[in-house]
Amino acid sequence: MDYLIDSSNWEWLWTGNNFRFILEGFLVNLEIALIGIVFSLILGLLLALMRISKRRWISFPAGVWVDVWRNLPLILIILYLALAVPTSWRQAYADAVPGFFPEALQDELVLGALLGLVLYNSAVLCEIMRSGILSLDRGQREAAASLGLTYVQQMRFVILPQGLRRMVPATVSQLITLNKDTTLVSIIAIQEVIGRAGNVTSSAGFFGDVPAPVLQVYIVVGLLFVFVNLALSRLSRRLEIRERARTGTKIERVSGLEDQVAAESDLAR
Amino acid sequence: MSELWEVLSEHLPEFSSGLWVTFRLVAISFVIAMAVGILIAALRVAPVRWLNRIGGIYVETFRNVPLLVLLIIAFSGLPRAGVPVSQWVAGTACLGLYTAAYIAEALRSGVFAVGRGQIEAALSLGLSYPRTMRRIILPQAFRTVIPALGSLVIAMIKNSAIVGGSLVALPDLLKQTREVQADTFQTNEVFFWAAVGYLILTLTATLAFRYLEHRYAIRR
Repeated sequence: MDYLIDSSNWEWLWTGNNFRFILEGFLVNLEIALIGIVFSLILGLLLALMRISKRRWISFPAGVWVDVWRNLPLILIILYLALAVPTSWRQAYADAVPGFFPEALQDELVLGALLGLVLYNSAVLCEIMRSGILSLDRGQREAAASLGLTYVQQMRFVILPQGLRRMVPATVSQLITLNKDTTLVSIIAIQEVIGRAGNVTSSAGFFGDVPAPVLQVYIVVGLLFVFVNLALSRLSRRLEIRERARTGTKIERVSGLEDQVAAESDLAR
Repeated sequence: MSELWEVLSEHLPEFSSGLWVTFRLVAISFVIAMAVGILIAALRVAPVRWLNRIGGIYVETFRNVPLLVLLIIAFSGLPRAGVPVSQWVAGTACLGLYTAAYIAEALRSGVFAVGRGQIEAALSLGLSYPRTMRRIILPQAFRTVIPALGSLVIAMIKNSAIVGGSLVALPDLLKQTREVQADTFQTNEVFFWAAVGYLILTLTATLAFRYLEHRYAIRR
């Protein structure tokens, strides 16, 4: 305990630009998470629409695809893609990345990481969206059809706006998981927060004579994640309460399909 | 195609020992997660405010920190503070304590689903609070949260790969896969069999919990 709170062990935090260096690494994680969630939502919605299709030759392959990716460890997927994605793809990625992206994301290694995050999370989000859509009363669809809306119009104006609203809490908790999972890309040597924390603890160059202690550095890294993730879940709760006050109804929510179930019962009560 | 079978037959010992390590890792961690999870859930529903807070802090901390950071703290950080931690202790404790936060949340929602009337009835019959919990509330809460426990076990199987991929490096399926890949360079074939290994574990867990759900679950 003395070791933990001894002030000489915390000196690294305000020496040089150590803290800023770690914070910048953490920003890379947040950026990867943001890009990952955007593409996962798009691909997830496509997969969900395929899965609820009445044509079996569309819904069956989509179902198998989703079940496979959802049941594999993300770290295995990232590791595989880092090794197996052809150099030409990676080159194409490095060429295609817009220049305003941060330097760490310009690296061609990032392609494997992003692909892995999107493949895995889109499969999870697909299941969340599908159950959001299926939880609607079938009368909604039938009423829309009897009003003469086409399939696309039914989806666009009736089904999706209601179904997707129900999946917001589950999506936010999946986003928190995704945010934590961005640390896994350190396994393929992308310079994000874990890699940078490793630099701070190992090289004397960043810190003068005293090596930064591992325990304290990673406690700081962990706290960064706690702050951001707590803020995210607070935000989603706030949104839900406001939405409920605005519509005057209790919103039904879809839960249990995130890959780590985070039941927040005080809302469900 | 023949290469696929060749890789399996040549490296079966590595794959099967990796699968066995992963299985043991998940099994031990699950026991830890259940024990700690029940304790934390009990704290969170206890009628004492400061106990609720302790439980709440535990859940919010362990649920929001990446497992990889926990593993580094336990395996690399604690020894420097004079607490020696072995590979297995670090792996199972981190995975267990991490999942315990989720299990506590699931159980808490299960407890609330049981309904106040049951607690009041039990207390008015003269049962003490711990006894009410153990005899009346928890058995019903467990049965309500079987589906959630199932998906947490599957998440645990997947998260166990992080233990093998991190510097803890238990020789689990992921670690063995990396070593066989480094030996043979047959990336596609090696990772195919690793994926099959993980799918066997996750799908078995899915089926087992589907059976439990069918047999015991209370739908609300």
